[in-house]
Amino acid sequence: MADGFKTRKKALSRHGHWIERWKEGWAIYKKNLLGRIGLALLSIFTLMALASFIPPLIDPMYGPMSGVDPAITASTGPSARHWLGTDFMGRDLFSQLLAGARVAFTVGITSAFVSIVLGTLIGMVAGYLGGWTDVFLMRAADLIMVMPTLLVVLILAALFGQLNIWSIILIIALFRWPGVSRVIRAQTLTLKERPFIDAARVAGASHVRIIFRHIMPNVLPLSFLYMTFRVTAAINIEAALAFLGFGDPGTVSWGMMLQWVWKTGHMFKAPYWLLPPGICISLITLAFYLLGRAMDEVLDPRLRKEGERY
Amino acid sequence: MIPKKKKAVFFTVFFLGCLWTGVGFGASKRAAYLKVGLFAEPKTLNIWLASDRWSFSVLSKIYQGLVTRDPETLELIPWLAETLPVYDPQTLSYTVTLRDAEWSDGSPVTAEDVAFTGNLIKEFKIPRHYWRWNFVKAIQVKDAKTVRFVLEKPMAIFLSRTLTTPIVSKKEWEAVAQRARKAGKPLTALMNHKIKNPIGNGPFVLKTWKQGAYLLLTKNPHFFGKGLKIAGHVLGPHVDGVLFKFYGTSDAAILALKKGDIDMYWWSVQAGYLGDLKKNPKITLFRNERSAMYYMGFNLRKPPFNDVALRQAVATLIDKDFIITRILQGDGERMDSVVPKGNKFYYCRPDTLWGAGLSREQRVKAAYKRLVEAGYSWKVPPVDESGKGVRAKEIRLPGGAPMGPFTILTPPADYDPLRAMSGTIIQEWLRAFGMPASAKPMAFGSLLDQVKVRRDFDAFILAYGKLSLDPDWIRAFFHSKNDKVRGRNMSGYHNPEFDRIADLSAATMDKKARRKLICDMQKILMKDLPYIPLYTPKMIEAVRNDRFSGWVNTLEGIGNIWSFCLVKPIRP
Repeated sequence: MADGFKTRKKALSRHGHWIERWKEGWAIYKKNLLGRIGLALLSIFTLMALASFIPPLIDPMYGPMSGVDPAITASTGPSARHWLGTDFMGRDLFSQLLAGARVAFTVGITSAFVSIVLGTLIGMVAGYLGGWTDVFLMRAADLIMVMPTLLVVLILAALFGQLNIWSIILIIALFRWPGVSRVIRAQTLTLKERPFIDAARVAGASHVRIIFRHIMPNVLPLSFLYMTFRVTAAINIEAALAFLGFGDPGTVSWGMMLQWVWKTGHMFKAPYWLLPPGICISLITLAFYLLGRAMDEVLDPRLRKEGERY
Repeated sequence: MIPKKKKAVFFTVFFLGCLWTGVGFGASKRAAYLKVGLFAEPKTLNIWLASDRWSFSVLSKIYQGLVTRDPETLELIPWLAETLPVYDPQTLSYTVTLRDAEWSDGSPVTAEDVAFTGNLIKEFKIPRHYWRWNFVKAIQVKDAKTVRFVLEKPMAIFLSRTLTTPIVSKKEWEAVAQRARKAGKPLTALMNHKIKNPIGNGPFVLKTWKQGAYLLLTKNPHFFGKGLKIAGHVLGPHVDGVLFKFYGTSDAAILALKKGDIDMYWWSVQAGYLGDLKKNPKITLFRNERSAMYYMGFNLRKPPFNDVALRQAVATLIDKDFIITRILQGDGERMDSVVPKGNKFYYCRPDTLWGAGLSREQRVKAAYKRLVEAGYSWKVPPVDESGKGVRAKEIRLPGGAPMGPFTILTPPADYDPLRAMSGTIIQEWLRAFGMPASAKPMAFGSLLDQVKVRRDFDAFILAYGKLSLDPDWIRAFFHSKNDKVRGRNMSGYHNPEFDRIADLSAATMDKKARRKLICDMQKILMKDLPYIPLYTPKMIEAVRNDRFSGWVNTLEGIGNIWSFCLVKPIRP
């Protein structure tokens, strides 16, 4: 009974510790102007992604892929009915832009998350176990790191036909973990020499327990920091693929919108069609970059100004 | 000491003199090259290997056949041949007399060359050509200018398909053929032979090919047609040469056309560019019919598309008018038969026009009715209890099993955005009907490999361009004997009745009787639907009108041999 009470108390205190750390981090973050701008931009894109489900409910003609305005058969400029205008088939560009935000988040966050999970696991295992495991995993990381992701995906698409969005996400994730794993490995190498790891080892903790219970909580903040940069890379790669004609044809992404404007010969004629997806790609990658910069400051006290150290 | 004034006068006179002589010299030497923009670079100048449009664009100026088509009437007329050969039904033979013609090296074009070309194709079974020569039993050289073809059986396509084959020089190819015969794989050796300076009989010869940059053809001084009046036209060529430039994207090519870097862009112009081009007074647009079929094909060798009811339902669901008005922007015509409507003699209206004139909801209801009759069911049917069309979920096959996911292969958007987009839209219509369809654009070579070689596919969207006006190709595309690896029957269609009529049509020399048989073939195909014909796009080409004139409009556009023989520089 007493043991159970102690365990609950311990858990609550650990929970409280995390909340404290989060509050502390947020206090630093909100002082950072770039971080605030990044977060504001991301909030706008999140709203866009959430709102993307609304237009097709208003009228089927606002369906981003197959909905067309019955009265319009060519690309037209902005109007009250179509806020950003229509593409060459009479499809609403604003609906496509909203749907593109959803795809950008899906691609960016999912592939970044998978690559971070892979990178963190491999980095921790390599750093902790060392020896041949370390050599093997890090050489594998080096091998993948030197491969140009976009080129590899283009070759795969040419060989096996256009890839669907989940295959693209998986490929991006599989090619973007080495950078993270190198950083996490370095962090693990310093952590495993610390007294608390020795204490755990002496107490009889298994390797798995040491890695997941004692090392992982200390490297996770770094992983999340890298995740913001990976999101940016993933969004850019998907957009480039789609623009070059190798995106998922069943998905309305910003890159796909750019491809349509290009391939239908409207590149220099329809700024209302060309600019919005281009601007959105730039802004969302900027937003994640700013978020990452601000998080960097939260995690690394050396980056803060004098007098702001906590 | 020369006074300053005199010095200034001297230099001015000297400068003007240089300028005047320079201009005069330049003008007298400047060649009138017609600059043509191509989307991509030719893959080869080996006529037997060439299978891409860009290689043919160049090779069709170098090598010529015995007959060609009149640009206005589209009737067959003699070209390298002096007159159209007449069929002798007693001996199953045609006798052809050649014009006085020379190869580009000055040697005469003889009956030996013609016989050599035919025998080479037959001996090596050269793909793309063999099928139009395999029924020729013997090629007899009567004299230097006369050659006789003896057929195994009457063959209606002899004039239109066999005699349009480009003739090659025996002198050039005999040694190559001999080396190829000694190789382990003779056909591969023949087709892999690198041609650096092809000896041709056409209006132009190869001057330079700087790979990756340009290809220059110059006027062939030995061209047989120079000064001749054929089909009412006195032939040239009137230009000194044709300079082909390669662009890779339409954007770059259209920009080059607007700036005057090229005189013609030899590729159909996308609707998006037309507005700007129309406003440019130095650019003229030509719109012409095409003899082409853009279609959706199925793999009939495996479920689910081995079921004719399902194919008919898909045909009903596809809104061809939508594709034409929206995706093609009106520059095309719907196809309801495998023969394009432009082929007025052979086109026959089928008994059923799948989905024609129906609204979206009517289309869904008609397809639903057809599939319910055939035993299909749904988790959520596309038509609810009140009879209203709704988004369906999970179509189930007659046995009750859910239909597995299937893909519609299309060429990639950078090759043909219209077909890629059509695939995506068809995918959406089928998904709304509960079918797990996915459009999958893939590189053109990989697509053909998957469909023709591995034959591992569900459905695809492809096209045939420059279809012969004699629609014997229907027989080739759908005869069961062509259902083989790399065969032309890509769908795996088998119908003994169709095969019988097809064979009969090929051997029927009477044009009217043949038309009736070809009509029957079209009707069978439109009922069985191994292919769903979608549309025939228009050919829209853009040229500059400030340097050259005299383009000849005909089926498939202005990029024809007549234009290249008749276009003249505009002299100020």
